[in-house]
Amino acid sequence: MREGELAIGAHHPRPARDWHLPAPYDWRAALAVLLVALALIWSGNRMEVDKMLGLTGEAVLSAVGVQETSQVGRGLGRMLGALFPFVIEDRMEMARLTDIDRDALPMFTRIEAVEVTTFRMNAETLKAEPQVEVKEYLVHPFGYLTKVLGKMVETFEIAIWATIISVILSLPLAFFGARNYTPNRFAYSASRGVVSFLRAMPELIIAMFLVLGFGFGAIAGYLALGLHGAGFLGKFYAEDIEAADRKPQEALTALGAGKLRVLRAAVLPQVAPSYVAYTLYILDRNVRMAAVIGLVGAGGIGQELKGRYDTFEYGHVGTILLVIFLTVFVLDQISARVRSRLIG
Amino acid sequence: MSAAAILSAAQAIGGGVQPHLSFRDLRKVYADGVAALDGVSADVGKGEFCVVLGPSGSGKSTLLRVVNGLTDLTSGTMTLGDTALSPKSLRSIRRRVAMVHQQFNLVERASVSSNVLAGAVAEVPSWRALLGWYPDHLRDRACEVVARVGLDEIHLPRRASALSGGQQQRVGIARALLLKPEVILADEPVASLDPAISREVLGLLREAAREQGATVLCSLHQTDLAREFADRIIGMRKGRVVFDGPPHLFDSTAEGKLYEGLTAPAHQPATREQAYA
Repeated sequence: MREGELAIGAHHPRPARDWHLPAPYDWRAALAVLLVALALIWSGNRMEVDKMLGLTGEAVLSAVGVQETSQVGRGLGRMLGALFPFVIEDRMEMARLTDIDRDALPMFTRIEAVEVTTFRMNAETLKAEPQVEVKEYLVHPFGYLTKVLGKMVETFEIAIWATIISVILSLPLAFFGARNYTPNRFAYSASRGVVSFLRAMPELIIAMFLVLGFGFGAIAGYLALGLHGAGFLGKFYAEDIEAADRKPQEALTALGAGKLRVLRAAVLPQVAPSYVAYTLYILDRNVRMAAVIGLVGAGGIGQELKGRYDTFEYGHVGTILLVIFLTVFVLDQISARVRSRLIG
Repeated sequence: MSAAAILSAAQAIGGGVQPHLSFRDLRKVYADGVAALDGVSADVGKGEFCVVLGPSGSGKSTLLRVVNGLTDLTSGTMTLGDTALSPKSLRSIRRRVAMVHQQFNLVERASVSSNVLAGAVAEVPSWRALLGWYPDHLRDRACEVVARVGLDEIHLPRRASALSGGQQQRVGIARALLLKPEVILADEPVASLDPAISREVLGLLREAAREQGATVLCSLHQTDLAREFADRIIGMRKGRVVFDGPPHLFDSTAEGKLYEGLTAPAHQPATREQAYA
């Protein structure tokens, strides 16, 4: 406070009944609300929001039995019906397994005989006649589930490595992108530019390009997710550094500490909980996205999902979706616990 | 002997104390045109507890911040021992000068021990600083200073934010004492504390500094505290020194020079809630 400000007490105060508190909203706020409403009405028409509401309403009505059928209900119902029952077993035709010993089957497996009726044309009568054939299958009761879980572990590994790459890349980006630590304006702009670019590129597109370079498989997957995640973490880390309490930073600067040491000793303890929270969010997001980028051949459970979906094996698709959901759910519980322990 | 040295020897009071900090015609004009320091010259003897007294805006905080270069001078020279403050000597001067802050300036989330050890962050090798792994002798020293400021072993792992204001300032003082600095700058160290706690904390600061032979430059706005604790009072008003002498000479005339014409008497609003036991 400067000396001049102390003189405020010298002016003659008005009586309290002349005081005036401005209203919290004025005509500008009303105008802004009106404009936003108009824009939403205009956009709602383009986006067919009325149709969406109508179809959803029909589907809900038919689901509770008020209305006979609905277009949406039929479409989704058919698909959802096909997901059940989930396929968890794995079966292979014995005829195709050449080197298998019937007396020493692999663990947990059994042989199932299935009668298959096929129609063959009789060469003499020129009529299709039913022929009953017995096909033997080697059935592993949890075979497919095990396979999906294995793929899920691979997906999780992709997510972990993607997160590690994100963290490593984003630390320098955050340092140069924090206004109060960047060495100069150029480094600041460059870092912010890179961060925006990485965030703006959808990971699916990055993955498609990287698959061209690195081939099908996990490398393209975790690189794509890692680059995209660095865009997020670089921004959030930098903004937290900027928002951290300046007082302890000044205290350490006064003791002769350089920028990096101040960052380590005065800023890091302040931002650590939110860094952990952001990083856990990115890990969670990477697990979900790792399932998606498999669609373009970047490894993990997504590749399996895409294969089964394209061959109409919806029971398998159901199993995969269930495993993804359970993984995300469990991960969410764990990260919530870690977060609350750190922030509390 | 240079002219400046003769002058400072003449100005050093208390009989025979070595001048430790010397200010020569310091000027600081802020960007808004306010002259926070308007030709300040003074010397502070080694081991002195020197209180810089004045109302808000008198320039006392600026004077302190000039010593360790937190504020750049517009003109004038500041000398610590034989070293003049310059961009080149800034780091080395900062390592010899510790600071105690009005708002304590602790990392609130961090423990008492890591706040105290952070006082050595500029001294340890980089890898130790980055890992937060301080050598044994510094950790022992940290325990020593925490005990010296009247805190207990049970406080070591506690978060700074869990302590009362008085305890937080004790941690601030412990951090300042850690590396046995030559000079301790205390910028309104008790402005956020209630009067009883203020006396305890100031007494502690004075005793601890005296044990180590550290020179203290402490800014205050309470004349009673200044009279009670100072070896020497530098009174400031509008960026100028209007009183410089021992506390027994700081009479009502001198006090008038500092405060007359100000409607709000020597009271600086604390930005933090006042007083916790």
